[in-house]
Amino acid sequence: MDYEFGQEGDQLRSDLRELIADRLPPDFLGAFTDEPGDLAITQRFCKELAARGLLTLSWPEEFGGLGGSLWMQTVVREEMWAHHEPRGAQYMGVNWVGPSIMEFGTAGQKALHLPALAAGEEIWCQGFSEPDAGSDLSALSTRADRDGDGWRISGQKIWTSYATMADYCFLAGRVAGSGDKHDGITLFLIPMDRAGIEVRPIKSMLGPHHLNECFFDNVWAGPDEVLGPVGQGWKIIRRTLAYERVGVARYARCDRLLALVGRELEGTWDSLAPALRARWSRALIKVRVARLLAYRCVAAQARGEPSDALASVARVAVTQCDQEVAETLFQVFGHQSLAGARSEAPLHGALEDHWRYAQASTVASGTIEIQRSLIARSVLGPS
Amino acid sequence: MDLALPPVADEFAAAAERAVVGMGGVEVARRAEADPTIRTTEVQAMLEALGVPDIDPRADVDSAAVAGELCRIAGRHVLPFPIVGYVMARPGEGVPAVLASAPPLRAEHGDLFDQWVVHDLSGDVGAATPSGQRMGDRLAPFTTDLVRQGPSRPSDLVEVQYLYVLWASYLLGVVERALELAIGHVKDRVQFGRPLAALQSVKFQVADATVAVDGLRELVRFTLWRVASDPGHALADALAARLQSLEAAQSVLRLAQQLHGAAGLCDEYDISILVRHVQPALRLPIDADATSDLFFEATRIHGFESLFSSPSDHDGRAR
Repeated sequence: MDYEFGQEGDQLRSDLRELIADRLPPDFLGAFTDEPGDLAITQRFCKELAARGLLTLSWPEEFGGLGGSLWMQTVVREEMWAHHEPRGAQYMGVNWVGPSIMEFGTAGQKALHLPALAAGEEIWCQGFSEPDAGSDLSALSTRADRDGDGWRISGQKIWTSYATMADYCFLAGRVAGSGDKHDGITLFLIPMDRAGIEVRPIKSMLGPHHLNECFFDNVWAGPDEVLGPVGQGWKIIRRTLAYERVGVARYARCDRLLALVGRELEGTWDSLAPALRARWSRALIKVRVARLLAYRCVAAQARGEPSDALASVARVAVTQCDQEVAETLFQVFGHQSLAGARSEAPLHGALEDHWRYAQASTVASGTIEIQRSLIARSVLGPS
Repeated sequence: MDLALPPVADEFAAAAERAVVGMGGVEVARRAEADPTIRTTEVQAMLEALGVPDIDPRADVDSAAVAGELCRIAGRHVLPFPIVGYVMARPGEGVPAVLASAPPLRAEHGDLFDQWVVHDLSGDVGAATPSGQRMGDRLAPFTTDLVRQGPSRPSDLVEVQYLYVLWASYLLGVVERALELAIGHVKDRVQFGRPLAALQSVKFQVADATVAVDGLRELVRFTLWRVASDPGHALADALAARLQSLEAAQSVLRLAQQLHGAAGLCDEYDISILVRHVQPALRLPIDADATSDLFFEATRIHGFESLFSSPSDHDGRAR
């Protein structure tokens, strides 16, 4: 047993913190703010990470990575999310778009997309959810009809993060003639500037241009834009979601915010109500447990044995931890926590930002109810 | 980074599980209520055959992991023996150790040994002997009062930390087994024409219990590593494991018993024995709320290492 990242990991963490301190404003809260400059910061930061080989550190060298271990990638993941994800939308490319293309893509698709992802030059969005296919994702009804050697895609996607800025969509559609609802689902890699695609932002508590609706009206997809076998996309989606569920180190931001607030509270701990001290104590432990369960997934992935059930266990623990820590931190500052303005709010609004994002954590990437169902299936068997 | 248990701990756990199951598993606890002497004649004899008196958890990480697995296996079957104190006895001395709060001092199976090493929560350690007074029939059948003998001296934090984390490992075993029993029951029990396991409310509760048990398992392993690899600097870590184990035990045991329905109240079912016999471990020397207070104090004094805790939070040591 050894829970150290070792000298290489410690050095990487230290380098990343130095880079973050140097390149990001101290009140940086991610790409989805009312400050247009924040999005530009993430784009510059991504290119700098890419130039240092850190954006896709764990990818094989042939695909533009450094061949680093998943544990080193975990360090990157933790530091990025803890500091309000200065990679912007690129974390998705690193976490699941790239790995899915590596596993299921053609040589041409790999050559087209992987170097661009590794260079931080290609932003993706995920076209999975639909108005009538959320948790029941395999009920999706976006149609992909044969047209010559390609396809014509029509349908509506929703809750699509980053759609306004994405270069490509990782799009799930259904081809005709299938029986079982899992059959026929096919994945397409579609440029977002293709004729027939319209994106409409959805106003939400997550901030401007985060959530969007995407309308696909007879959008052309060439034969070289299908990922994996036609009609066999469900297997790819499941693998993609497993990558995605452990790809965001939400516990790391909880950890950092607790540490920052803890330092502000030095000398005044006795003024906290005993019930809040108890809640604080449990929050510290929840963060540690969530981190350890996430590490269990990384270890399984590193052994070449990724597991849906382990990912779901980690996801439940991490997302519940996210919400519990958000609420605990709010209680420390009371109604002052509600201030969103950076200059007035506790930690320049970082707590307010975290609380808003935490509300989405048990919904995004598969609701907590879906995660519970997956866990139950693994321990009780199908029923 | 290596999260796997050392092979020696895996092998020992398998051997211990075979031995305890070979004796009857939870049935041993049932029988000990009727005939307490089997705790010595059968259980201690089995532990000696396994080589438990030679295990010193303080020796290194592997030994700590072996001791942790031994306690976990004992917890799975609420083995009627003071396993944590016994494995913490110094090799060659054979005097078991116990954590105790203010008088009356109490120990599980305190009557089995003439001498005890008592670490009390005020930071002192001293000797004690059993008074002969036993607590209760159903919820504390083997809990015995101890009487302090001779002077006290300052306790060794290392010993206290091992005691906390090994008790957490014991409770891990209890909740693991409780969840297994609940899963077995809801798969077998048919109501409304289908197994209870087909009901979504049951599925979700089992899923939450799985998260609790898996989380505790990872935390206990991590804490054993922390305590063994940095002796004396892991008090907050050990208390965190203790607190998490108490809370997991309370939620998982309650669920497991509830899912058994009325059967869960009957001694014929193992879940009832687990729930009854584990009660002292959930409250001695202190319960979850008091543990939470101690943990909070420990984090203020010793820090609680995390990704973003500062070096000053750790007694001036490098992170």
